[in-house]
Amino acid sequence: MRDISKPVRRFDASEKIAGVARFVDDHYEEGMLYGKIVRSERVRAKIKAIKIPELPEGYHVISAKDIPGKNRIKMIFDDWPFLAEDVVNYFGEPILLVVGPEREKVYEISESIEIEYEDIPAILSVEEALLNKKPPIYGENNLFADYFFEKGDVENAFSEADEVIEEEFKTGFQEHIYLEPQGMIAKYNNGRIEVFGSMQCPFYVKNALIEEFDTKPDKIRVVQTTTGGGFGGKEEYPSQIAGIAALGAYKTGKTVKLVYDRAEDVEFTTKRHPSHIRIKGAVKNGKVIGIEVEIILNAGSYAGLSSVVLQRGMFAATGAYSIPNVRVIGKAVATNIVPMGAFRGFGAPQSIFAIETFMNHVAKRLGRDPVEFKLSHRYRKGDTTATGGLLRNEVRLPEIVNRVLSMSDYYSKKKEKKEGKKLYGIGFSMFLHGCGFTGNGEEILKSIARLKKRKDNKVEILISNVDMGQGPQTTLRKVVAEVLGIPYEDVIYENPDTDRVPDSGPTVASRTAMIVGGLLYRAAKELKEKWVDGEEIVVEKQYRHPEYIKWDQEKFKGDAYPEYSWGANVIEVEVDPITYEIDVKKAYAVFDLGTPLDRKIIEGQIHGGMLQGIGYATLEVMEQKDGRFMQRTITDYIVPTALDAPLFETDLVSQPYEHGPFGAKCAGELTFVGAAPAVCAAVEDALQIDLYEIPIRPEKLLTIMEKKNESEV
Amino acid sequence: MKVRFKLNGEEVEVEANPASRLLDVLREKFGLIGVKEGCGEGECGACAVLLDGRVVHSCLVPFANVMGKEIITIEGLRKTEEYRIIEESLLDAGSVQCGFCTPGFVISIYALLKNNPNPEDKEIREAISGNLCRCTGYQMIIDGVKLAAKRGEKLWKA
Amino acid sequence: MEGVIPKTLNEALSLMASKNYIPVAGGTDLMVRYKRWKNLTPSFPAAPLFIANLPELRGIYREDDELIIKAATPLSDIEGHSDIPVVLKEAVRLMASPGIRNIGTIGGNVGNASPAGDTLPPLYVLDANVVLLSEKGKRTLRIYEFIKGPGKNDRREDEIIYEIRFKVPEYTHYFYRKVGTRKANALSKLSFAGIAKVENGIIEDFRISLGAVAPFPVRVIEIERKVVGKKTEEIDGQFIDSIKKDYEPYIRPIDDQRSTAYYRKKTSLRLIESFLRAL
Repeated sequence: MRDISKPVRRFDASEKIAGVARFVDDHYEEGMLYGKIVRSERVRAKIKAIKIPELPEGYHVISAKDIPGKNRIKMIFDDWPFLAEDVVNYFGEPILLVVGPEREKVYEISESIEIEYEDIPAILSVEEALLNKKPPIYGENNLFADYFFEKGDVENAFSEADEVIEEEFKTGFQEHIYLEPQGMIAKYNNGRIEVFGSMQCPFYVKNALIEEFDTKPDKIRVVQTTTGGGFGGKEEYPSQIAGIAALGAYKTGKTVKLVYDRAEDVEFTTKRHPSHIRIKGAVKNGKVIGIEVEIILNAGSYAGLSSVVLQRGMFAATGAYSIPNVRVIGKAVATNIVPMGAFRGFGAPQSIFAIETFMNHVAKRLGRDPVEFKLSHRYRKGDTTATGGLLRNEVRLPEIVNRVLSMSDYYSKKKEKKEGKKLYGIGFSMFLHGCGFTGNGEEILKSIARLKKRKDNKVEILISNVDMGQGPQTTLRKVVAEVLGIPYEDVIYENPDTDRVPDSGPTVASRTAMIVGGLLYRAAKELKEKWVDGEEIVVEKQYRHPEYIKWDQEKFKGDAYPEYSWGANVIEVEVDPITYEIDVKKAYAVFDLGTPLDRKIIEGQIHGGMLQGIGYATLEVMEQKDGRFMQRTITDYIVPTALDAPLFETDLVSQPYEHGPFGAKCAGELTFVGAAPAVCAAVEDALQIDLYEIPIRPEKLLTIMEKKNESEV
Repeated sequence: MKVRFKLNGEEVEVEANPASRLLDVLREKFGLIGVKEGCGEGECGACAVLLDGRVVHSCLVPFANVMGKEIITIEGLRKTEEYRIIEESLLDAGSVQCGFCTPGFVISIYALLKNNPNPEDKEIREAISGNLCRCTGYQMIIDGVKLAAKRGEKLWKA
Repeated sequence: MEGVIPKTLNEALSLMASKNYIPVAGGTDLMVRYKRWKNLTPSFPAAPLFIANLPELRGIYREDDELIIKAATPLSDIEGHSDIPVVLKEAVRLMASPGIRNIGTIGGNVGNASPAGDTLPPLYVLDANVVLLSEKGKRTLRIYEFIKGPGKNDRREDEIIYEIRFKVPEYTHYFYRKVGTRKANALSKLSFAGIAKVENGIIEDFRISLGAVAPFPVRVIEIERKVVGKKTEEIDGQFIDSIKKDYEPYIRPIDDQRSTAYYRKKTSLRLIESFLRAL
């Protein structure tokens, strides 16, 4: 038997290196039309009139009125239109689509369309939304979601406490900056709509189009093109672009290409939810015995996935810590900005930043070592989570933490702070991530994965999950080949086409390897038993939650996830004593993500996830002013370059999950969540200050240090 | 305006607005889809090509400026032994994830190794600092460069 | 408006005299400034004149005690040239990324007159001159006469920027700092260039310039004169405070998408202090 974890060359890499892999913008066909979206130039307004110039032959302007079915993007709530009807709710909201054969002319037309607006008082911040003095954007109180759950007796914990510590944390917007901008190509042939594009979730797109065109499933076909990064940004948002492009194709009968300019992508696509998190902890005998966490997310102008993002955030509220008395309150608040959306970690990074930083602060106040303090609160096998779920599997945090400490030489570095021109600091974080969909998501989905053995004895993987860089083209092939004992090359896995694949669910929530990989593993086992050379055999497996999993979606009680992955990070920084610029020098990580399906792919996930987390904590700044983002291009919204990236050192501890293929658990998001709090702890250590907010900007550090120096004089 | 230049080893002449972006000319007039548009602002390096042997971002180059020059894109590089070494090294180092940025990186790596066959970590980071990657955290790309430097030792010094 | 590619410098100058052209060198700034939408040709407000490849506009030369950098010399050539003073070389090395430095030119950076233009503070401390050329002849301006404000310079419609020239000063200390949004391919929040000559404990020359903290680079000769002639042991806390106070009114930054006015101002003053302390 081959070692499943042993790295192999990625199956999709050669054609990507050579530049022959076709991303959406690389597809071209004779006679196709180019589309450009005309967007709102107001933050919140009624559309009074639209003046369209006389159009040359072959050019069309398409509006919400052209939608034959429902003008709502199918998601959790039905509030987000493909194209605005009579009201716009954010600057840049799509109103019209201009299509035509020449881009220059399309641009000219789109620039000459005049839209008359009547402003509605815009809600520009979460504070304003909660005050609820202006006409609400959503419902009666601007809340897309308002949740609450409890465990134990929190009030009693506060009354028994030696000390009650309350702190507030803030996290910022984050833009995905997948290297390939969003885009779709749509065709309309004989009553059928076909969409090709960059996406994570072909069936989300398909289901959205079924409702948009009020048609039957067999009239819609969605095909993923090689996708240049997603990170959640291509989870729900592509449905909107697909819907608009498809409308263009439907109206003109021609192929329509709608690919975003980077500036459009930066300013007008979904972002990570900014958060305000208040944590109140009851400390008794050196332990946190009770905690109240209130999470407020800025959800933007439409509900999108915000309610579930909030849920994941809430379920992660106590981090990796067993706290007997817990109250978690959460609100997803509507404001007049681009809808916030899925982004690697999905609500958890905000919570993990807050709880980790809170635990550091409490440890410091108690005069305790933060690592030892955190370990003393850690989850153990048999503990119940914040939602009362049972941790059935071994929690190997002590091993994880010890490894990361020795790897980084944490204690000696912390003790002998390097004396140099720069201020040195080292920080630690430990955390978990729930694997797969939150709550009853997997149960509702009931994903199906299919294997088709062809007559030539090659086996095709038929699933709707995509490779957007995270590696399933390779890892899932390995899983199937390994079970069947056939060469990896004999497994075929093409970009999903909804005409050919069953709905194995979206490529999100770190679920592909564990959940879909698990289905393929079981399908391959069955196929192996049924195997007859030279015959075509099809095996299908449908997901069923393990029976021991209990979950109450109304009360948020029980097992919020079937399994958890774990990790600990150590990060070293140097802060410039004059400019307070932060230089992240080294990043160490140890994770338990079950059995790695390919060590190199996992390592790539770790480096990439952590660097995104480091960017999130430091230089990725996105601010709002008068309802618009100040950073509107990739020149102003910046992500780390090779010179900004630290050296990474990583290791794995593998506690397998019985239902994951070969014991694999979740990986992709876990790698992101711990970096920001570790960076924050390191900067706190370097400057001997407390921080409450990311990104940690030199501008902020300057004012903190000025106050600190004043008070020390 | 008609402009003559050398493209991937061949003399070519093409009619285009001299202010148009080299990127668009390469993709649309020559179908060279390995030259990617990631930003159109010179920030990401996905559109990198070699202009007289130097790395440039083709989204910033007015077509006029290539008159009489030599352009090599990933499609041209692909035929070389140097490319094969870089490709193999990136494959073995696990340098590729989504791959959208990769052809641009290959251009930068090639130019680096041609000038500096034995680069240090810092020099590699400098050389690829105009290529953004959002997937890898760069380290495994740097590993790939080091591997290519080692494997192609004689070739780079030639 | 279709652009033109002149074959010789003379042709370029006669075109410049004939109507309003926008001289374009490497294109790294202008191609983005006039960008409209993906895949469209940038829309220049007047016809572009592509002068990057005119041999008369490229190269680095010595003439007597002056160093001459022709306007269309790419930044990477400057970075790699041994005669270039390190304060300028360092600024160029930290600009943008290799692919941009390979085509971006010094003339373009100067001509843009951006308050955040990274070659400007070093050129200010080097007392550089900007030489403009038209059919009528050459015109030489001090760099601070040439730069008129954000995006504004003193180039006349028929002129092109021909060369940058300066005497290479003798100095014992230099300090260049770019405070950017990240370590590569970053725009400056602020930048600092300083040179000084200290001999026998006496400061014989002292020049500093700051970028991105006012509508044009800050260089104040009167304040520098207060430092010149001082003994290094006289540079104490009190003296440094008085110099910082002198600079304060000249440092007038703004809040924008990259930083805050407060940070820019305070950090500028901290860098001034740091340079003075290093003497």
